[in-house]
Amino acid sequence: MRALAQLPELAPYQDEPRQRPSGSVGKNGFLRLGFERHQERTVLTTMERRVPLLVQQALYWDSEMPGLACVPLITTSGCLLQGDRHTVEVEVGPRAQAHLTTQAATKIHSMDANFAAQTQRFVLSDQAYLEVLPDPVIPHARSRFVSQTVISIAPTATLLYAEILLPGRKHHRAEEMFGYDLFSSTVRAERPSGEEIFTEKLLVEPRKRDVRGVVVMGDFAVFANVLLLTPRAHADRLLEQVPSHVEPGAQRVAGIGRLPGDAGLVYKVLGRETAVVKQGVRSFWALARREVTGAGIPDEFLWR
Amino acid sequence: MPTERLLRLLQFGDSMLPVGSFTFSNGLESAIARGLVHDLPSLRSFLDTIARQAVGCDGIALLAAHRGALAGDLARVIDCDRALHARKLNVEMRSMSLRMGRKLAELSQRVHPQPLTELWLSEVRAEHTPGLYPVGLALVLAGLGASEEEAFAVHHYGVLSMVLGAALRLMKVSHLETQSLLFELNATVSDDYRSVAGATLEDMAGFAPLLDVLAACHVSSQVRLFMS
Repeated sequence: MRALAQLPELAPYQDEPRQRPSGSVGKNGFLRLGFERHQERTVLTTMERRVPLLVQQALYWDSEMPGLACVPLITTSGCLLQGDRHTVEVEVGPRAQAHLTTQAATKIHSMDANFAAQTQRFVLSDQAYLEVLPDPVIPHARSRFVSQTVISIAPTATLLYAEILLPGRKHHRAEEMFGYDLFSSTVRAERPSGEEIFTEKLLVEPRKRDVRGVVVMGDFAVFANVLLLTPRAHADRLLEQVPSHVEPGAQRVAGIGRLPGDAGLVYKVLGRETAVVKQGVRSFWALARREVTGAGIPDEFLWR
Repeated sequence: MPTERLLRLLQFGDSMLPVGSFTFSNGLESAIARGLVHDLPSLRSFLDTIARQAVGCDGIALLAAHRGALAGDLARVIDCDRALHARKLNVEMRSMSLRMGRKLAELSQRVHPQPLTELWLSEVRAEHTPGLYPVGLALVLAGLGASEEEAFAVHHYGVLSMVLGAALRLMKVSHLETQSLLFELNATVSDDYRSVAGATLEDMAGFAPLLDVLAACHVSSQVRLFMS
């Protein structure tokens, strides 16, 4: 990955906030989580944390997979602000199974200087299984956000990684719709040897380039990008089960395809409202989990 | 520009060049089938996105490969090929580019053999490198003495003329309208070149989710005229 200072899309946003400097105390959250399989359960054996990121403990709330370590990632500062530099490192040991989510949507607040950045690293050993299903990202008007994710994955492991991007605070005021300056998200997947399998860099700058082009977002507002890195046999069977559909005037459209290098599948969902996109991601999650682990997914929490 | 080089660029930039570009629509067929492209303004919006994707991803790989080719460095060219392949998540666009890349290298070996292209082609055949079209085009054009900006422009023109050629066969649009559109879109090619001339392979990026969704539907569609 390129250093933040070298990213061309960040060149216009190098000014320091009038508040505390970028990346200073309280603005450089850090999490390091390590999961290990202990008999039937997966245990959170490593937990390092620095504000404003916080994790308390692994919970076992999933009745369908009682040994699954579920961890909500918490931010105590109310999400991402200008000058924030957050780092998350997650290691999942052999045969360990974990589920990461958030407590609420990730709001990227409006900015008048600088940007917010997040660096993530996921390491999956043999037969590890990890679900990363955070709540949607809401980039407020004039926000700038860069996310860089590296995934190191053994050929027998599975990672489900879903990102849902809203156009902004949809019902707040009109200029919030695609009113952000920058959303840049790179995911690079590699084998433990360091060999690159695929890289996807999504670069959205709605103020520079209209995102409502007929084959960009069109009439849709919400976008989900779902990556499933999994062995070929699982990918083959899932490809037959997951339909791709685009119907004129539909509330939701979706398409599935194979990732380069036989890494698994990529599933993209677009919708007019958040709920239908979340539902699309959930259906895919159910199929993927059933295929890979044989288990179902739990009922939705009442408050979601 | 010496006249001979101009003619060579015209030949390799022409949509008549039998590398299979006429069998691809770059996603236009599905976009028309699903009603997203239906008139001139929507075709224009489609082309804008296709051109943008071509600049921000293929264009960067093409420039890097051209530089590698001028340095006679096959390893650098192969790095570009692999990096671009790893970034082609859209299956249809990936297979289109692979077919055209190989065809182009084979054709150029027949018409105008060049040692570096031949080496690259043998690496492609041995499955040591994917063999993508922008990389093959960079090799061939570098061998013909084209500057990197010229190579970039030839590629850009090829993408636009492919889609417009498909548009003529798929929707109600006239030759005069497509020619005007092509003329207008070609006007920005120097700016497009400058916008990525300093970029590295790691900067390759894009954003066209509906295009990706459409391509996924096209793969599984029953009736189709084009391969993408």
